[in-house]
Amino acid sequence: MTDRPTIAPDAPAVIEARDLKTHFQGHTGLINAMLGLKPPTARALDGVDLRIREREIVGLVGESGCGKSTLGMSLVRMYQPTGGQILYRGDEITKAVGRQLKDYRRQAQIIFQDPYSSLNPRLTIGQVIEEPLIIHGIGNAAERREKVIKAMELVRIPAADNIDRYPSDLSGGQRQRIAIARALVLEPKFIVADEPVSMLDVSIQASVLELLDELSRDLGLAVLYISHDIATVGYICNHVAVMYLGRIVEEGKAEDVLTRPLHPYTQRLMAAIPRMDPGEATERVELRGDVPSPLAVPPGCRFSSRCPYTTPLCEAVEPDLSDQPSGQRVRCHIHDDRAARAHPELTPPRPGLVTETADAGILVETLDHA
Amino acid sequence: MAASTPPRAGTRPASAATLAQLAELNQRLAWKPAARLQVEGLSIGYSTLRGRFHAVEDISFEVPAGTNLGLVGESGCGKSTVIKALMGLQPANTSVSGRALLDGQDILGLDDRGLRDIRWNSISLITQSAMNSLDPVYTIGDQIAEAIRAHERVSRATAWARAEEMFALVGLPAGRLYEFPHMFSGGMRQRAVIAMALALNAGMLLADEPTTALDPIMQSQIMTRIRGIHAHMRRSMILVTHDIAVVAETCENTVVMYAGKMAESGPTADVLERPLHPYTMGLQNAFPRLPVPGAPRQPLISIPGVVPNLLLPPPGCRFASRCPFATDLCRTTAPPVVRHGAQVATCHHTDRSEEFRAAAARPETWRNMRGAA
Repeated sequence: MTDRPTIAPDAPAVIEARDLKTHFQGHTGLINAMLGLKPPTARALDGVDLRIREREIVGLVGESGCGKSTLGMSLVRMYQPTGGQILYRGDEITKAVGRQLKDYRRQAQIIFQDPYSSLNPRLTIGQVIEEPLIIHGIGNAAERREKVIKAMELVRIPAADNIDRYPSDLSGGQRQRIAIARALVLEPKFIVADEPVSMLDVSIQASVLELLDELSRDLGLAVLYISHDIATVGYICNHVAVMYLGRIVEEGKAEDVLTRPLHPYTQRLMAAIPRMDPGEATERVELRGDVPSPLAVPPGCRFSSRCPYTTPLCEAVEPDLSDQPSGQRVRCHIHDDRAARAHPELTPPRPGLVTETADAGILVETLDHA
Repeated sequence: MAASTPPRAGTRPASAATLAQLAELNQRLAWKPAARLQVEGLSIGYSTLRGRFHAVEDISFEVPAGTNLGLVGESGCGKSTVIKALMGLQPANTSVSGRALLDGQDILGLDDRGLRDIRWNSISLITQSAMNSLDPVYTIGDQIAEAIRAHERVSRATAWARAEEMFALVGLPAGRLYEFPHMFSGGMRQRAVIAMALALNAGMLLADEPTTALDPIMQSQIMTRIRGIHAHMRRSMILVTHDIAVVAETCENTVVMYAGKMAESGPTADVLERPLHPYTMGLQNAFPRLPVPGAPRQPLISIPGVVPNLLLPPPGCRFASRCPFATDLCRTTAPPVVRHGAQVATCHHTDRSEEFRAAAARPETWRNMRGAA
């Protein structure tokens, strides 16, 4: 699992999101409705472009509440996107219904975070894995059993000993393998793995990650690996995208993003990971406050309310993703002067310069404390 | 009427009498020395419907005054059980034996009154889930003030003033003391619990996975706070975690537990750089690290197999079924506790640890085990 196969940049995408948006509509009370107030809208996913090719594992990282899981669930159509497009092998499936949706779901599967609650405790392992086959009307009982056994072999759980046991007889790592087998039994082309190892002990995390890596190579799967643990992303991903408040702020090859992060948010995310050298705690800049609510997305750059380099330009104009010479794509005015040239009256941020605007923000917070 | 106190934006300026009392209280608390904890032969057994078993067996360690001890291991290895026993929070069907001397006083056999005296006052706890450790029907400020007033004869206003200082210390606005736990985000709630644990400046702080449920950024901010406050006040701490990197950054000494027993202990630098026990070696290789620019990526190696059932513990070493270096001796005879300088390991083959360390860094060593497990 040390070296990922290189993916040709022009290889056709298995799954592609174009300007994908998933907004959730809040509820208004009766009185507010009579007053004509609009219900609040949570912009959980707000314009995301992403391509995943065959045999490619794309890592998606960010804090809780940044929209990672919403993206994963929108891509497999568990949430209905409110804007943009999802293309599966070039076919638009954003608004697919009925037959077409069911066909798509055979191709796109999801693995959830918690293997203790994602497996029905009343079904045996065999029944759990067989269920998708029954739903999609595949094969007769004997053929289905054969497919179940094959799927269990893929995830290295001996079928003979385990097929009639219940999930409660298995350990967390084994359960997560069963959840992977259930996703694989339909022979999908695309898998969303939503924090598949964060509930597992460190000593067995590696084996599940290794398994995902092998499966994507051997079966040609496109995988979206969602995690808040940047360190694990480095081990299995070709490509990494960093999300903040519903948008991708930086993406690029895994090595580039992890070793030379450009966006201040990615830099902070990397600094948050404890190093293994005893006695040497790295000095870290504290970020102001919490992630803003997706109900009230700040104007301008979404990270401006917490960024140490914020200037008036950041607070007024949202940067676009810009291509960098190193091959990464970054959404930050520091690395993109297009907006600065369009708005010469606003001070642009400069790298490494902690600004007065940001300091003023910290000051407001400290005054709050007193 | 605590429950109906409306949230206020700020607080009223304290009266002169309150300020005087607060200064006196602060001074009294600042005088408290850091505590020293010696745990000797601690065993904790539960009786269940399927029989009795020992969740923790014969654990000994020492936390010298003013130092941090990291307690690491997989889930179910007994880390939290140790912490619960030290706080006297074990369930009723538990048998505890051994000694835990807090500044010379055994805290394991204390009655309710004795426990009330030491809790928060000389030993305090930062719990794993801040969500469940705060009372939902009282404001945070009331809860902190209550803990202060249970131990110190001060007015309510003084206790609140102290709570405000604690909130400033953990980076929360004082106005939020008037709020209820549900109005806080996860990270803020965790900080409130830390503020509460620090309120009486207890000499010994037990932190049971204080950041496990949080985001990486919040995690690093909370750990930075704990480290900073801790170094500043020179307290002793036991940090329970499964994240060895956090221990590497925070703790002078480390105890590695496996299946209720101590696998290895010693100064953190030694334990992480020259582990003696194969389990520590495995744990280290399984830990994901950031790539270093230019250097080849290290493989991530998992430890095959599962933790043994403690109802039917294996006769020999508890790690034998997952250990790539296990011999017949390991499978039949419980290993002795071997001391190498400051480091202690429970293993038959500590003299071969150098050879093991080299082998453990190769993925094949562990992979070849898989058929056997």
